Amino acid sequence: MKWIDIKIILLLLVSFTLQTVAAQQRVTLITNATIHTGTGEVIENGTIAFNFGKIVDIGKGQTSLYKNAKVIDGTGKHIYPGIICMNNLMGLNEIDAVRATRDFDENGKLNPNVRSLIAYNTGSKILPTALFNGILYTQAVPQGGVISGSSSLLKTTGWNWEDAVIKGDEGIHLNWPEMHVGADLNETKSNRIEKQLLEIKSFFADAEQYHNALSVLTTYKASGFNSRLDAMRGLFTGSKNLYVHANYAKSIVSAVTFIKQQYPLIKLVLVGASDAYQLTDLIKQYNIPVVVSNVHRLPSRSFEDVDQPFKTPGILVKAGIKVAIGHAGSWEARNVMFNAGTAAAYGLTKEEALQCITLNPATIMGVNARIGSLALNKDASFVICEGDILDMMSSKISAAYLEGEPIDLYNDQQKLYEKYLKKFGLN
Amino acid sequence: MKYISVRILCVVFFSLILRGVLAQETFPVNGPHDLRGTCYAFINATIQIDPQTRLNNAVMVIKEGKIENIGTSVNIPKDAKIIDLKGRFIYASFIDMYSNYGIQWQNNNKGKDQYANNKPGAYAWNDAIRAEINAADLFQFDEKQSTFYLESGFGSTLSALHDGICRGTGALVSTGKLNEQQVILNPAAAAEFSFNKGSSMQDYPGSAMGCVALIRQTYYDAIWYNTQQSEQNLTFNAFNKLRHLPAIFEAENKLAVLRAAKIGTEFNTTYIIKGAGDEYQRIDEIKATKCPLIIPLNFPKPYEVEDPFEAQYVSLTDLKHWEMAPANPFLLSKAGVVFTLTAFGCKDANEFLKNLRKSVQYGLSESQALQALTVTPAHLMNIDKHSGVLHKGMLANFFISNKNIFDKEAIIQEHWTLGRQQIFYAANEKILSGKYKLSLKGFDGGVLLISGQLPKPEASLIEKDTIKVSVQEQLGLFTLSFKEKKNSDALIRVDAWVSDYDTKTLQVKIITGKAQLPDGSYQPFTAVWFDSVTTKVKTDTVMQVSYGEIIYPFNDYGSKEIPVAESILFKNATVWTNETPHVLIETDVLVNKGKIVNIGKSLPAKDAKVIDATGKYLTNGIIDEHSHIGIYRGVNECTQAITAEVRIGDVVNSEDINIYRQLSGGVIACQQLHGSCNPVGGQSSIIKLRWGMPPEAMKIANADGFIKFALGENVKQSNWGMETDRYPQTRMGVEQVYYDAFIRAKEYELKLKADPKLTRKDLELETLVEILNKKRFITCHSYVQSEILMLMQVADSMGFKVNTFTHILEGYKVADKMKAHGVSASTFADWWAYKYEVVDAIPYNGVILDKMGVTTAINSDDAEMGRRLNQEAAKMIKYGNMSEENAWKMVTLNPAKMLHLDKQTGSIKTGKDADLVLWSTNPLSIYAIAEMTLVDGVCYYSKERDAVLRKYIERERQRIITKMMVAKQNGEKTEKKISLTEENYHCDDE
Repeated sequence: MKWIDIKIILLLLVSFTLQTVAAQQRVTLITNATIHTGTGEVIENGTIAFNFGKIVDIGKGQTSLYKNAKVIDGTGKHIYPGIICMNNLMGLNEIDAVRATRDFDENGKLNPNVRSLIAYNTGSKILPTALFNGILYTQAVPQGGVISGSSSLLKTTGWNWEDAVIKGDEGIHLNWPEMHVGADLNETKSNRIEKQLLEIKSFFADAEQYHNALSVLTTYKASGFNSRLDAMRGLFTGSKNLYVHANYAKSIVSAVTFIKQQYPLIKLVLVGASDAYQLTDLIKQYNIPVVVSNVHRLPSRSFEDVDQPFKTPGILVKAGIKVAIGHAGSWEARNVMFNAGTAAAYGLTKEEALQCITLNPATIMGVNARIGSLALNKDASFVICEGDILDMMSSKISAAYLEGEPIDLYNDQQKLYEKYLKKFGLN
Repeated sequence: MKYISVRILCVVFFSLILRGVLAQETFPVNGPHDLRGTCYAFINATIQIDPQTRLNNAVMVIKEGKIENIGTSVNIPKDAKIIDLKGRFIYASFIDMYSNYGIQWQNNNKGKDQYANNKPGAYAWNDAIRAEINAADLFQFDEKQSTFYLESGFGSTLSALHDGICRGTGALVSTGKLNEQQVILNPAAAAEFSFNKGSSMQDYPGSAMGCVALIRQTYYDAIWYNTQQSEQNLTFNAFNKLRHLPAIFEAENKLAVLRAAKIGTEFNTTYIIKGAGDEYQRIDEIKATKCPLIIPLNFPKPYEVEDPFEAQYVSLTDLKHWEMAPANPFLLSKAGVVFTLTAFGCKDANEFLKNLRKSVQYGLSESQALQALTVTPAHLMNIDKHSGVLHKGMLANFFISNKNIFDKEAIIQEHWTLGRQQIFYAANEKILSGKYKLSLKGFDGGVLLISGQLPKPEASLIEKDTIKVSVQEQLGLFTLSFKEKKNSDALIRVDAWVSDYDTKTLQVKIITGKAQLPDGSYQPFTAVWFDSVTTKVKTDTVMQVSYGEIIYPFNDYGSKEIPVAESILFKNATVWTNETPHVLIETDVLVNKGKIVNIGKSLPAKDAKVIDATGKYLTNGIIDEHSHIGIYRGVNECTQAITAEVRIGDVVNSEDINIYRQLSGGVIACQQLHGSCNPVGGQSSIIKLRWGMPPEAMKIANADGFIKFALGENVKQSNWGMETDRYPQTRMGVEQVYYDAFIRAKEYELKLKADPKLTRKDLELETLVEILNKKRFITCHSYVQSEILMLMQVADSMGFKVNTFTHILEGYKVADKMKAHGVSASTFADWWAYKYEVVDAIPYNGVILDKMGVTTAINSDDAEMGRRLNQEAAKMIKYGNMSEENAWKMVTLNPAKMLHLDKQTGSIKTGKDADLVLWSTNPLSIYAIAEMTLVDGVCYYSKERDAVLRKYIERERQRIITKMMVAKQNGEKTEKKISLTEENYHCDDE
């Protein structure tokens, strides 16, 4: 899809070019920029070349190779891969206080079959504000119950969800019970947790049995169809991730040991995981990726280091764990890069922090062959920033490209801004 | 020593006799009268006649419930029944001033969400004010509780209804087993208060600050009530009577003690405050209140901390409290605080006595303990003429123990109340333990070995094998049972009794009985003593009493010494002054006695501590105009549309960990705001983050008073579901609430001027009058343009100005009108879309307002964001290209201006408060870390100090957890513990 932005001449020219004159037959070059590839590498005075939506070249000084190329001067600018925000409600939750605009929490406890994909509203007014900050992709994650549903990875712009989807139904979200038996002081709590765990375990056992039965059947018995169990099959084939939302140490231990010992082939990802810093050995042992969400939160306990949430990503990365930094909520997600920035102030290098919102999410969701970093043959999906994208002082996105096409960053918020600047004669 | 401690039927016996037969004067007697002598002489006793004086070999004569004579050479009257107490002790009965003994009551005023009181009758408007309740009316003798108190040593209690804010009149009652007519010693002994509305189903008050407001207003209403004739109100009739009585105030923690005392000061009342046992944590401030305390002895048990992950749910506060609680009475007495002790909260007599002894182990002297249990309460209740000591003419209320009551093995054997005896453990207990030679068919020559104490002695039969024998005692007789052979199921069962004992040593000599053998036949049973049992004396491991040290605040990141102002020289910093010029490079700033004293190049250090600030940034600290940290039990008084009478200042929680966390983010001060539940919320409190100081010391002295107003969805209760019917439900109604309120306030002011004596003092209207007179200033929660204009018009029409619009996310639409009104704006950087009224919120709001000349700040409304306000300010640069200088002022000088604090803080200028933060780099950068935060020149936070405190926390936790594990291994019972998590409030929270 293409959008024509009549406000920005540069973009107008580009889209004109793209749409008319032998569309996309011409390579586009952005030159002399500082390119942050998302892999940890920084190319100073670098050039990126793309055509047909893919990166055809990246590095230093190849400008002369592309004679007919459209050249954009990137001097003084920084290029980053499009940011991927994991664990998010954008497109599912428009105005939190208005029930009619909430589409992320289905009735019932075990809902692996409900799919955020089909509720994802590309007409959301929130999505353009995320795009404006350089977020090109979001993992739309249902919430609630024990198994909340299936998440999908989508672009933050598109005509509709079919158009926006990068990977549909890429994972199932399981909220592990809080394993803190003392949580209330009577004994019934541990019984309750016990029951919840049994429920989860038997659901997995049933799902596996269902999957195995269907795998050997040549003809499918219609009468035996169970949509909930059926949705779980992808976990056993490896086509879906299992995202376990667990924060406290015991929940993490319980979830990891159960899944990894009973179902070693399931691709397990921890989400939230505020206590993960206490369990790096265990998490590393099974090579489980962690989606930290959020970095900007208070410590879980009064005696914890006051900066514990800020330094947790650094601790996990140093332990060799693959870390993504996500952001819960919807409108708030436009700050995910600043969560990464804070993690960079407290232990990560800037490029490692960037990786946590680009390549690592892409790798976790199995789309790193296509997005997440800037490399040959990958999607030409990137943002051009006036300065350091992780630091709000300079994090101003001047342009964004999605699959080789320039994206209109203008949104209702700028419109109101300009309208009132004009009213008050301030511009 | 082993007693055959026979728990006799005396208890039952006496309760029947006394409660039935020895009835009161006016009652008819069914049958011949049975009046017995009331004169007793206790001889050979050790008598503690008062806390300081103990007489050995003394005599006490009592008659008709009073002490007739007491001393070491006393004539024994002829009619006296003599009781020999050789080796035993007499103590004056304890007096418990905090009890609900015998109080039976149920609140019949049911029905949810009462706006006004549904209670039928001529009573006060609020059901939590129950001045008309008389404990004496509700009192019923309670057998179980009576025994609990008597066995604990208490001969009388101040019994009251523990339900409601004003709980009416407490009654002094004897705990003796007598009829109600006899035990009620004084039906009107005290007035009773608390901060808890209890079973009241009325909405108001919904918060702790609302409780304070309601109490204060009740006092004023009662004063007014005395001056008027227009209404009869039974509650106020009663309340005005209560004011002449000693007043007991239940406080749920140490800060509530200070809160109660402050109310007392306002109404010239020195409350006797029932504390929670944590008073040692704020002892200086509590001492300064001069209020006597009632202190519980229900010390926490060791917590379950074996599981390291689970133990993470216990805070340092709770760990340390476990260790220090037993020292509370000692530390209070050391500080010279007057206090009494209560058994309230103790499960049984054993727990009370055990913990009383523990207090003594921890340093309280025996005489101080006795003082606190007898003389002090008697004095506080003005009953020292007849109670508290055992002097001639006093009431015969005393107990008899086998040993010094502070001895671990002491038990209270008898308790005499009003001259009447209640026996719990018979004194002439025979000693059952020993080795006995057995005569029983099939077991002749066997040895019966009995050791340990009744009711559960251990016994065994040693013949070929050793067979365990079960011994049970009931009504003075024994049942023995044992297996015929070790591996047999067949039982031999014996009914047995003592048939001979040594009258001097009380050693049982012969046990005789009838045994039934497995074949059903009865056989004679005799056991003859021949030797005593040598038991291993369990050497009491003398407990090493140590209990760590008090830290301020008593929370994680508290410290033994509260830091003090230092002389500090920051060398070579990039200084952001917020003055002209704003940026000074390579500049020194000298701080002394809490003030900035010099700014310049190469300043001499003299005695100052030198901080090398090369490459770092020095700025004024951050001021959060809109914060809800450090607030206790409720940020909103949601229950009425106007609650101008409530004050956050009454409920400052100076120990909230978020205060420390915000210091680590460079915050030095904040306005603690009421929530946004109602059009007129409560009065705010403005504090500096003086971590470690008590609430009053955190408040900025002489700061102007502010109050929270609110508009829009929250006050309309739009997002509360469908059940709400509180006025207003529309923005239209909100305006009318304001007009009505201010018109009423104007009328009130006129009335007050015309008739200052007879006008009822109205705390709500008084506050509104302050606004009209520009003595209190409004911070108004607001979002959309229509309501912003509305409030400015209301203000204009009433002759005052709105000081600040907070949130004000559509302020950019009416920035010109705001500028004209002169109002400030305190907003979010980029919040939006969380509710319908913020759909037009844009991150450029602050920039437009700033450009239009409106004083604009960025606030947090959130404990988490509060420590990253520098980042939020930087978003002004990202979204609207604001200058660094202006962006920085948004979180420092501008909020200082709107809080009227800019004369003292908000910029770096000679003479201003040294409220400074040293940043690792440009403070607007995401990479900036606050390395040091000074408030008034005091370093409350620095990276170095933080590292020390982290180590301290780690060490203390480990030390105390280890100690708990040892206590558990030594057999102490444990309890599960989950420390309360901090209450992190936002505007919308109830």
